[in-house]
Amino acid sequence: MPTRTNPGAALMSTPPFYTPLDAIPKIHEKSWEAWRSGKTKSIVWRKRQIAQVGYLLKDNEERIKEALRIDLGRHDLETDFFDFAGVYIDIRTSYDNAEKWTKKQRAEFNLNFFAMSPKLRAEPKGVVLIIAPFNFPVYLILSPLVGAIAAGNAAVIKPSEKTPTYCALLAELVPKYLDPELYHVINGGVPETTSVLELRWSHIFYIGNAQVARIISQAAAKHLTPLTLELGSQNPVVVDPKCDLRNAARRILWGRFSNAGQICLCPEYVLVPEDFQNTLVEALKQVYHDFYPEGPEKSDSFSRIISGVHVERLQNLITATKGTIVFGGDSDVSKRYFAPTLVRNVRTDDPLMEEEIFGPILMIVPTKSIDEAIDFINSRGEPLVIYVFSPDKKFQDKVFENTTSGAAVANETCISAGVPGLPMGGIGASGHGYFTGKFMFDEFTHLRVSLDNPSWVDKIAFGFRYPPYAPSKMLHALMPPLPPRPGEEPTPLGRWGPWLAAAVAVAASVTFTGPSQRVWSWFDVQASTNAIST
Amino acid sequence: MSLLYTALDDIPKIHATAQKAFLAGKTKSIAFRKKQIAQVGYMVKDNEQRFKDAMKADLGRPYLETEFVDFLIIYGEARQAYDNIEKWAQEQSPDFSLNWFFMRPRLKAEPKGTVLVIAPFNYPLFLLLVPLISAIAGGNAAVLKPPEHTPVFSALLAELLPQYLDPELYHVINGAIPETTKILEFQWDHIMYTGNTRVGRIIAEAAAKHLTPLTLELGGKNPVVVDPKVDLTMTARRVLWGRMSNAGQICLAPEYVLVPEEAQEALVAAFREAYHSFYPEGPKDSASFGRIVNEAHAARLQKLIDETKGTIEFGGDVDVSGKYVAPTLVSNARGDDSLMSEEIFGPVLVVIPVKDVDEAIAFVRAREYPLGIYIFSYDKKFQDRVIENTQSGAVMINDTLITVAAPGLPVGGKGSSGYGYYTSKYGFDQFVHMRVSINNPSWIDKFAFWFRFPPYTEKGAKQLRVLETKLPPRPDAPNTSYSTALAFLFAAAVAGVSSVAFLRSSGRM
Repeated sequence: MPTRTNPGAALMSTPPFYTPLDAIPKIHEKSWEAWRSGKTKSIVWRKRQIAQVGYLLKDNEERIKEALRIDLGRHDLETDFFDFAGVYIDIRTSYDNAEKWTKKQRAEFNLNFFAMSPKLRAEPKGVVLIIAPFNFPVYLILSPLVGAIAAGNAAVIKPSEKTPTYCALLAELVPKYLDPELYHVINGGVPETTSVLELRWSHIFYIGNAQVARIISQAAAKHLTPLTLELGSQNPVVVDPKCDLRNAARRILWGRFSNAGQICLCPEYVLVPEDFQNTLVEALKQVYHDFYPEGPEKSDSFSRIISGVHVERLQNLITATKGTIVFGGDSDVSKRYFAPTLVRNVRTDDPLMEEEIFGPILMIVPTKSIDEAIDFINSRGEPLVIYVFSPDKKFQDKVFENTTSGAAVANETCISAGVPGLPMGGIGASGHGYFTGKFMFDEFTHLRVSLDNPSWVDKIAFGFRYPPYAPSKMLHALMPPLPPRPGEEPTPLGRWGPWLAAAVAVAASVTFTGPSQRVWSWFDVQASTNAIST
Repeated sequence: MSLLYTALDDIPKIHATAQKAFLAGKTKSIAFRKKQIAQVGYMVKDNEQRFKDAMKADLGRPYLETEFVDFLIIYGEARQAYDNIEKWAQEQSPDFSLNWFFMRPRLKAEPKGTVLVIAPFNYPLFLLLVPLISAIAGGNAAVLKPPEHTPVFSALLAELLPQYLDPELYHVINGAIPETTKILEFQWDHIMYTGNTRVGRIIAEAAAKHLTPLTLELGGKNPVVVDPKVDLTMTARRVLWGRMSNAGQICLAPEYVLVPEEAQEALVAAFREAYHSFYPEGPKDSASFGRIVNEAHAARLQKLIDETKGTIEFGGDVDVSGKYVAPTLVSNARGDDSLMSEEIFGPVLVVIPVKDVDEAIAFVRAREYPLGIYIFSYDKKFQDRVIENTQSGAVMINDTLITVAAPGLPVGGKGSSGYGYYTSKYGFDQFVHMRVSINNPSWIDKFAFWFRFPPYTEKGAKQLRVLETKLPPRPDAPNTSYSTALAFLFAAAVAGVSSVAFLRSSGRM
């Protein structure tokens, strides 16, 4: 995500929807108090709150969509698809699985320890903080909130001040639908966020850019607070000339131009063999005309940029690029409009390749070979996702196995975020920890282990542990056997050998000594084969 | 013995070598990982005597403690990782979902990269090699930083590791603050640190610069809550064992005991009895009692003991130059006692009398979350009351320490006792990234997801609503399933009554 802040913000007076600075420690204290009261222990209670998040959205769909039309100039269908759908999935999954996820689990059976009934219980971490960016302010705030509620935490959410209409609406709705002691909205800019970060939280869930993530990590380090960081990146697309070209062009442009390119999972640049660049550009042009038959500026299917400052940032990038603009490139700061833009012949050192674009500009980077494409990806920070368009499993595997990324998506863009059961999560430069579903629940949970050890266990097994110490056969009996020493692994025959010997011996003993001695000779053979195998 | 520190100039080279070896892809092979895991086991097995002697030299630790804690757990972890790695690293499918099935969603545990493991002096063998096994199983390269306070052990590890493991991928860096500072300048893909909160903060701040994920295992003052109806002999033995093992230098060790005032005397008597049975010839000459890691820590403990306002029931004597602190029991201590001001991390057990279990719970709640809470009681209600009203990394009922050794139970703190997990599958998960993937065929757009492409239409919006996930029932609405059941019962009743009436009227009954 872009790393600039609004230079004019400090000069403006504090907007009315901001939380007063002196209220912030009080909200924090109140959340802790409410959490300590133990109200969230009831799973039934958590489920009601989860459902209420759903009805907060459902009952106010129209108002929320309108807010996002104002703040992001976004078509309702994108709000439905990218914002609402994901939260509804998380609500349903968490609601249906809350009992299962929080049920006490037994550790796997182990003869030496089962008498102690070792168990794990998923307990809430405490009071958590969720900070999310402007681009999908419903999904990226409320899905983590659902995860935090399901795990039994109190939560404070901090939406992006860049979506003021939505922020004010959320601050109005949250206390109406959710428990007002446990769940809070804090609105504000840098001073408010700084104040929030001085306080001690049990977990911080941050979605945004690497620069702010460092600030948040530093603040978290002081309190030893665990973190989830979901950061954007320049996500590459690798195109195989053998791909379904029209499909590739449609899905790439869709991923890049939805929400005017302000998606952390967006494809940012396309690596394509030099001799295929023309073909791909033609296909992308065709799709561009299909998407916006009357031109993008008039189309209600194309969103606006979050602020004039960001339009200017994109303008500067486009002015500075040494690539060739195929279409787009024009903008209107006053309308926060930046045209869907395609730039070809972009090289590694191009200004467009310096930071995450987070806007509707797609770059084509021609390469000589697939190996060059892979090297290009590996020479940069780990992206949140890598896209490959190819029907060829080998081609896909070659790219995925030789690169590192949060996700590896073939023949599609963006959509993996919505697939139930697949978490979203970065690696390296794109963050760590997971978003959505059970994985997100785990981020907000501490697995508290427990056991209950009866007195008699010491008589049978663990008595040797008490001083005065004496050499203990029991301790040696408890020692788990090591795996075979490398180079001395049993051959297939070797593994079955002792059993084969045992079978032969049993058969022999039956034949020669009669049934009465069968059992004893079997034990003898076992003992001797055990001696062989160890 | 003075430990040979790694040259500062070599540290960047080691980091680069490890990273390069990782990128070469050698760790992708599961067979390779299994061999390395087995080798960790044999590195210890073949050199058991040397490791026991090293711990004896560094910590005066009895052999049996090294066998029980270090060897037993390392072998168990090696075995578990070796046997389960195929399962852990296997590609998985999420639960079936009709709308998404054709996109072939998958998850795969991939290595994070080059990881750093830093361990403290108290159990350096266990605290370095168990994470190493998890890191290897996850497919990472790893650098281990043993403590400088255990020179014999740290030198031994530096000698043996390259003999048993791949020398490009796995490394030992020895040193003190300057070396550790240098190490922390580099970008690691994960850092696992075991130690104290002060250093934990320094490491977290260094990690923040590179956005490096962390596992922090920190100590804490672990309380014991005693129900007077419990067998006090058993309680005293298990608590004293947990406190005096490794001379109290265990992050999970019980530090203080909360007991109802009227039971304090009986409990102290039980502790006395256990103490005499543990060290019949006195602890100083006992081969079953360890030493403090260094003189500075022995002096620190002496100061804490000198300043206590509680009653010293036994022990209390300290020989700083001999790094000896006697097993000590202090009773009648209060919350503001010197011994309650920091983690003791030595063989001093504090007994704090309280009115009842509620005061004990309030006492625990007023403090930072400990790594472990110990409850001695046979009463399920008593146990649950403590468990449900407190927070901690782990809970043990009627025993101490032993969760660490139980296979399948992770070790992990909460709040100021840290976060993230050690051991078993949970340890493995710390060192992997779940990389998700889908492969979406073109034809899907003809059936399901066509509506997403501009220009957006009303028909598309309708199609999207068909796919929308249904919400759970509204909490305050009348319970529909209940009312449906009522309606059904009512209908059945009506049907029954009317059929009876019909049968009667038709003269058949």
